[in-house]
Amino acid sequence: MTTELLRRKENWSITYNHALGETASWFYVQIRDNAKIYGRRCAETGKVLVPPRAFSDTTLKPTTDWVEVGPGGTITGFTVVYEPFNGLPDPPYAFGYVQLDGADTSIGGYFKGVDLTDAKDAAKELRIGRRVMTRFADKRIGDVLDFHFEPV
Amino acid sequence: MKQERVGIIGIGQSAFTAQRDDASYPDLVREAVVLAMADAKLDLEQVEGIVYSLSPDAMVGIGNAERLGVDAVGARNKRFLRINTGGATGISSVISAYYHVASGACDVVLTAGADKVGECGDSQTVLNKIWDPTYERQLPLGTINMLAMSAVRYMEKYGMTEEDMAYVTVKNRRHASLNPNAHLRKLVSVEDVLSSRCISWPVKLMDCCPQSSGGAAMVLASERYIRENHLDAVWITGLAHCAETYWLGDRMASSVEADHADAFALGRAFDRAYRMAGIDDPKTQIDVAELYAPFSNTEFHSIEAARLCGLGEAPKLVRQGYFELGGKVPVNPSGGTLCTNAIAVTAMVRAAEVALQVWGRAGGHQAAGAKRGVASGNGGDHQIFGTMVIEA
Amino acid sequence: MAYKQQPGVIGCAIRPLISGQDRSLEEIMYDTVQLALADANLTIEDIDGIVVASNDQFDGRAISVMMASGPVGGVDRDILSTPSASEHAFVMGALRVASGQYRTQLIVSWSPTEVSSLSEVQRLGNDPYFHRRLPLDELSAHALQAAALEADVPGLHEIAEQIAAKNRHHGEYAAPKTRPQAGTERWPITSSMTSQPVTGAVALILATPEFIAERGIVDVAWLKGMGWATEAGFIGDRELTRASALEAASQQAYAEAKIDDPANAFDVVEITDATPYTELLAYEALGLCQRDQWGAQVGAGKFQRDGALPVNPSGGVLTHNPVFCTGLVRITEVANQVRGRAGDHQIDNVRCGLAHAASGFAMQYQSAVVFGREQGMSA
Repeated sequence: MTTELLRRKENWSITYNHALGETASWFYVQIRDNAKIYGRRCAETGKVLVPPRAFSDTTLKPTTDWVEVGPGGTITGFTVVYEPFNGLPDPPYAFGYVQLDGADTSIGGYFKGVDLTDAKDAAKELRIGRRVMTRFADKRIGDVLDFHFEPV
Repeated sequence: MKQERVGIIGIGQSAFTAQRDDASYPDLVREAVVLAMADAKLDLEQVEGIVYSLSPDAMVGIGNAERLGVDAVGARNKRFLRINTGGATGISSVISAYYHVASGACDVVLTAGADKVGECGDSQTVLNKIWDPTYERQLPLGTINMLAMSAVRYMEKYGMTEEDMAYVTVKNRRHASLNPNAHLRKLVSVEDVLSSRCISWPVKLMDCCPQSSGGAAMVLASERYIRENHLDAVWITGLAHCAETYWLGDRMASSVEADHADAFALGRAFDRAYRMAGIDDPKTQIDVAELYAPFSNTEFHSIEAARLCGLGEAPKLVRQGYFELGGKVPVNPSGGTLCTNAIAVTAMVRAAEVALQVWGRAGGHQAAGAKRGVASGNGGDHQIFGTMVIEA
Repeated sequence: MAYKQQPGVIGCAIRPLISGQDRSLEEIMYDTVQLALADANLTIEDIDGIVVASNDQFDGRAISVMMASGPVGGVDRDILSTPSASEHAFVMGALRVASGQYRTQLIVSWSPTEVSSLSEVQRLGNDPYFHRRLPLDELSAHALQAAALEADVPGLHEIAEQIAAKNRHHGEYAAPKTRPQAGTERWPITSSMTSQPVTGAVALILATPEFIAERGIVDVAWLKGMGWATEAGFIGDRELTRASALEAASQQAYAEAKIDDPANAFDVVEITDATPYTELLAYEALGLCQRDQWGAQVGAGKFQRDGALPVNPSGGVLTHNPVFCTGLVRITEVANQVRGRAGDHQIDNVRCGLAHAASGFAMQYQSAVVFGREQGMSA
């Protein structure tokens, strides 16, 4: 006798209200109100960390002052996604990491203004070391998606 | 006084596959446990502690799902705890089981787990949630594109090509065809890999691991117990964890110590494990390696982190067959994570496979004469690493 | 089984109640670790390894150890995560120090309240095969256990109310600025028997005898014995009127600590009072007081802070309820008592203390930890 094998559908729908803390909050307010990006300087190494944090995870010392970075920067990492994933944008899209001028670390963001039809061509456009400019949305809410990067 | 060693006395793993509609999640755990206990020739009665291997709850769809595995591992009223270090969970669990014995608390410890990844619909959707909601959750980060970015930097740094990556897939599929427990066992050619569809450039479909269902289990025991009961065993002689910064962007900059192209903290973990095992020349002292590498490109920096060759040298050596069965140091003779990935236990399978190798029990995928091997696991955003040295 | 090295607790931090949302979760972890290091007079460079514990679904991060590793000092360091229970992080840390392969371990746990419904998240802990459709969160599980106990022990409700009153009284003394909010009612548990969840974090540091001697550290809580065990996974498979896993765990701990008369062995006890019923059941399973004596001994004030066996001088979970880390908080509280660092709620002359940690549905995971002021394995 073959047993009928059943399945059950379940959905996880949980909402969170995360406290961003003073550091991240200030960072986003600057993006929202002034279209400017800032990093925080690590007291011990002098490195400007972007995105900013209240402390450096390498030295475990608090960060000290705010330093404006960008809007120009250099691509340090990228990929072009061609596969659809549930809950993520429709492909193709390119995103990755940019070391903004004045920063010692890179911040993530989408890359726009590049023809993504052919992966190899896109990879030449978006190569590591390529200069980009930060473009801010007209309407901003204080979020990383308030800006994206375009090759110059 | 010489430190008493900790030995592996039993191993069990499923024949991994995509869907397992015939079994519930706890059934898969039980499947592996039964095999491991039979291999150790012990009853669950003799087990004094259990370490449960389970990575994100969201993959199984049950919060603290280890509770459901309590009976599968025979843990009622026994020592029981669960480990989660993302993809490294399996090896972290074996390491945790090691400390149950090495501390003097237990003589016999079982570690086990399973995954039904194929059931949760979209692992990349779940894995997007590993990034923090402060800065990165809004980006479409997933483990595939995160490691695609590693490939891009590795290409820039060392001149690796997509063709180089394909050679890894070809090698591992050949190995998997010899391993009855592997998931993807079909042979493929370099052309097959290069023409497979692009997921996240430069990673293509055949550069990616599958989502596998199945369980794994291992039994560890103290040297004294092994001696007194005349058991057969292989020995864990070195182990370590190390983590790097969570911030992906900190690993991608004009001057970085831990470059996202490489596996810096994995290298540090290996250095510590080698020091503990008294190994000072891994290139000549390691016979076989099972290195966690869910994407073809990641096998390169894992090999280099294991100090089996210098930075940037792995692609050339893979092409030359150096790391193949029959070559100097077979890497992933089981087919590796690239051919079988049940996330919760994939890193345990690495340790289990190395144990089988140095034990001379790896059957069709045996690396001839292997006596000392290494295993590794990676977790989080290429961030937490566990390593282990196992010898006959 | 004897440990190769005897671990001692040398630093503790229980992050006090945080009001307002000015710190992010990662910043809270960072603060707590800095406090624990300061308490031990160490820097992060002195830490050989870290074990953390948190619940991914409480945190809203699919692999909570990932982002947590930075704030707790995990970069370029050996870090492990035990999400099953906060007390399990202590267990793994103690085992690692006991092996002699680590000189120190930092243990950290946290419990945020950023999720829209902790109850909803807890319900996800039920299997989708048979139990997901039920309103079974942790409070319901505790209620089921309380109901089973009330059926078994006449007059239990009144005794439970006395336990709650004791813990509230202790809490007013230990944490006068804390104003815990009354919990949710779920028969037979009344709203005064539990408190609403709050955000919290806790950290402690363990070290080997050699490290402790080298640094000349004197305020140490030496680990005498430790036991941990689990009940069956399905509530329906369990006998809710007993805590068999805790009986097993305490047997492990007492065997290691060479304790054969637990009722008279301790100067202070901290019990995870998820509900007063949990506390009473723990009295029995830990060998402190059998159920036929509950009424008499509780009524006589034996477990009050000025009684013969003070239980929960901290005020317990009723006073401070950072849900996920309440177990590790008990362990930390007793360690502080033994170290003489429990501040306003310090009990006099504590030579030996017992910590009970329980987590999960109706005390699924049970642990018992014995600390003593003198080095050496027997209590």
